[in-house]
Amino acid sequence: MNQEYKQVKRMTPAMRIIHWLNAFSMIGAIATGLYIGHPYYQTFIADGAVDKYVMAWNRYGHFIIAIIFDVTSVAIVYLYFFSRFEKPYKKVIPNAKNLIEFKDVVVNLLSLNRKNEFNSTHSDSFNTVYFTIFHLLLLWMLFTGLQMYVWGLGSGLSSIGSWWPWMLHVATDWTLYVTGGSKMDVRLSHHYTMWFIICWIVFHIYYQVWRTIFWKEADIAIVIGGSKFVKQDKANKK
Amino acid sequence: MSDKIEAVKKLFTSKSSRVETNKGDTYYQDLFAKCEARLNEMRAQTPANRLDFSELLEENGIDRREFMKWASATTAMLMLPPMFTPLVADAAVMMNRAPVIWLELQDCAGNSEALLRADGPKIDEIVLDIISLEYHETLQAAAGFQAEKQLDEAMETFKGKYLLFVEGSIPMGMNGQYGTIGAAGETFHDHLMRCSENAAAIVAVGACATFGGIPAASPNPTGAVGVMNVVKNKPIINIPACPANPANMVGVILHYLLTGQIPELDSLLRPKFAFGYRIHDNCERRAHFDAGEYVEEWGDKGAQNNFCLYKMGCKGPMTFNNCSIVRYNEGINWPIGVGRGCIGCSEPDFWDKYAYERPMADAKIKAPTGGVEKTVDEFGLGMLTAVGIGIGIHAAASAVAGKREKSGESHE
Ligand code: SF4
Ligand code: SF4
Repeated sequence: MNQEYKQVKRMTPAMRIIHWLNAFSMIGAIATGLYIGHPYYQTFIADGAVDKYVMAWNRYGHFIIAIIFDVTSVAIVYLYFFSRFEKPYKKVIPNAKNLIEFKDVVVNLLSLNRKNEFNSTHSDSFNTVYFTIFHLLLLWMLFTGLQMYVWGLGSGLSSIGSWWPWMLHVATDWTLYVTGGSKMDVRLSHHYTMWFIICWIVFHIYYQVWRTIFWKEADIAIVIGGSKFVKQDKANKK
Repeated sequence: MSDKIEAVKKLFTSKSSRVETNKGDTYYQDLFAKCEARLNEMRAQTPANRLDFSELLEENGIDRREFMKWASATTAMLMLPPMFTPLVADAAVMMNRAPVIWLELQDCAGNSEALLRADGPKIDEIVLDIISLEYHETLQAAAGFQAEKQLDEAMETFKGKYLLFVEGSIPMGMNGQYGTIGAAGETFHDHLMRCSENAAAIVAVGACATFGGIPAASPNPTGAVGVMNVVKNKPIINIPACPANPANMVGVILHYLLTGQIPELDSLLRPKFAFGYRIHDNCERRAHFDAGEYVEEWGDKGAQNNFCLYKMGCKGPMTFNNCSIVRYNEGINWPIGVGRGCIGCSEPDFWDKYAYERPMADAKIKAPTGGVEKTVDEFGLGMLTAVGIGIGIHAAASAVAGKREKSGESHE
């Protein structure tokens, strides 16, 4: 048995840390974001005045999470192009090889694993595209979120200087025009995108579990231990 | 092509509402000298009407001290340093030298109402009373051909000098036939174009004239749009809100009279001195917002204790206007002060996207798929359910297929 399977490294420790940081941040962002959009629990009237800061704490948490996302996003963009491990951008270029692989992976999913004609040792192009979509959604959340944030800096001043609101305006005002022209459009879009992300997550989890069960290559272990197992002959095939 | 370049430029040059309030001594000295010269020039002109401002103040029981208080407050509102106070006072007295033509298009005349609020007029209203209203479609006594003649005369006499105030939206549907004026049946659109030609600047007042307002609400049967969608290549000042605050109208006219220029504008062409403030940041209920204390339904304990109106749909967090500061009706109160949420009357897309008195998450809006109105959450949950069903089917099918395969290869 031992000889039959080969261990392949798939995620570096940095990538795994980013993954879990993102996963937990996502839960936090959704919980606090839903509260900001529609406060769903109440302050206890009997609470001491110092504790009565419910909306403020929710917004604080939401912003801190946003900053974590910001930082990991920069890291991910960097890794996309310069990772010494695997450069994901190579997998999203629509060249013949990637398109065929993409199709094969989709066929594998739709044929319920009866057809399996691609090399599952490395990250395939379908998965990479799927992740790229996620990061684009996240990027959209950052831009729309910061646009809403800058409304609170109407004076053009901030504790760290007036360059900050200025920069936010330059970087995010276009979201106003793209979403339809009014501030409400930006808010609605931010809210819609949350649901797209939730749907994304649901399918993501399902798909990884499904791969693990049907491929029998321990894919789920990638995100914890960093590696999966592939049958020796398959690993040598391509 | 140039259109596209413009659009891209617009995309990245949206201005913040910040006004630099300290532009340095030299700047203000210069401006002061300029304003003084301009006022002197004005003083030499014969007033366009015979109303005397000082007399009017006296008649209304407003003394000099009160007037100067108003002048210094107005100076501050216009973001000028205190040394401009006497000039502002002078300019107010000479308001009857500012020729104004006022068009009334597709609207409810609420802004004219606001302008006329006459019981116990405040100084703002008196100032507006004596502006030289050369032509006002709702207020003037003249009618028919006589009125048209008056308009032509006013436009001729004050060519290039008059401020054109526009109230109401412009119906563009059916070739503009939804709104016509005069015996010749001139459409609102043509009327506006004709009157704007020789105006010094155009002031669009109220939600309708600025962004289309209620007439433009879905499904917008008349194809209503705001002035800035129609008139190009003319300085336009937007004073949105429903109705526009008289204080802001006075501010704009005073600024124009004093400096001969239009005030600094934000990216929506609203004067920054008035629309540089977010309602939410100057709201007396803000502490309750941060504390998570909300009115849950009209008249509940929270309402009695002035809790935040966010859950009753207050749109203060996304609305820029100075009503939380200047207030209405002699500064007595303002919408949120009396316990109603802000409905964002000074923002584009006001009505459809703001005035539903529910939090954004509960707003019934047209889903991206079109058709029935849903909330974002209903749409999102629907989408999630679809994903869930898809996954369920796939999982069940996979399990069955997997079993079959197993029994097939069991004799390996
Ligand atoms: S009432 Fe409206 S403007 Fe005032 S704090 Fe609450 S949400 Fe903000
Ligand atoms: S509180 Fe809001 S809706 Fe009311 S007048 Fe002010 S901006 Fe308009």
